Amino acid sequence: MTIGTDIAEVDRIKKLLSTHGDFISRVFTKQEIAYCQRKKNKYQHFAARFAAKESVMKAVGKGWLQGLNWTDIEVINLPSGEPRINPRGALKKLMKQAKITSFMVSLSHCKEYAIAMVVAQ
Amino acid sequence: MIDEKEIFEKVRESIVEALGVDEEDVMPSASLFEDLGAESLDLLDIAFRIEKTFGIKIPRSGIQQDILAAEGIKEEDVLIDGAFTALGAQKLRERMPEIDKDRIYAGFRVDDIPTLFTVQTFVNIVKQVLLEKAGAH
Repeated sequence: MTIGTDIAEVDRIKKLLSTHGDFISRVFTKQEIAYCQRKKNKYQHFAARFAAKESVMKAVGKGWLQGLNWTDIEVINLPSGEPRINPRGALKKLMKQAKITSFMVSLSHCKEYAIAMVVAQ
Repeated sequence: MIDEKEIFEKVRESIVEALGVDEEDVMPSASLFEDLGAESLDLLDIAFRIEKTFGIKIPRSGIQQDILAAEGIKEEDVLIDGAFTALGAQKLRERMPEIDKDRIYAGFRVDDIPTLFTVQTFVNIVKQVLLEKAGAH
């Protein structure tokens, strides 16, 4: 079992989204974008998802230059609102190699920051 | 083919814009995290700016994959539980010659690679991608 955690500044994510046109599609999946865009505080939700992706990378021990695409890690929400990690592409492969069967994730955000905590097991 | 000095100038510009640091502080040997105060999000910002400036895509295949592919060796020879073995550390030093050798040791964690990044690391990445791009045509 391994853990990963990350904190993301909401304003930094907002700035990156406005500065780099393709940031959104390279980092977030269509489903994540649709979810965040529906929210009143959409940048807090984008930041929380970004923190979750970083946390997964830390938990599996691979940073963004080590073979995983951001969109290989998708944060989905159950009807109850509870977040889940939906592994895609290279992450699925990596989980097999690292003998990881699932992730647990917890997210929290406020006006300034979003944090995520991930357990890989 | 643009020369290394020109690549450095453009990389420096991207870093100055992303981090809001003084141009004279962005030396080739400057560590992005320790000397220039970058965080992991800043690396992404810098990478996106560099990609736009040079019209390239920085490969996501990764330094770690390069080490494995180049040698045709098994992952467990170089990496155990996310940390480099003595052989892995040696290969990483060869792959990142711009980094002070003492900073890479057996037990160094693969997810800490971004903390090693210097300005020259980005220059080398751009140089490699441009060379591959030129070779492909």
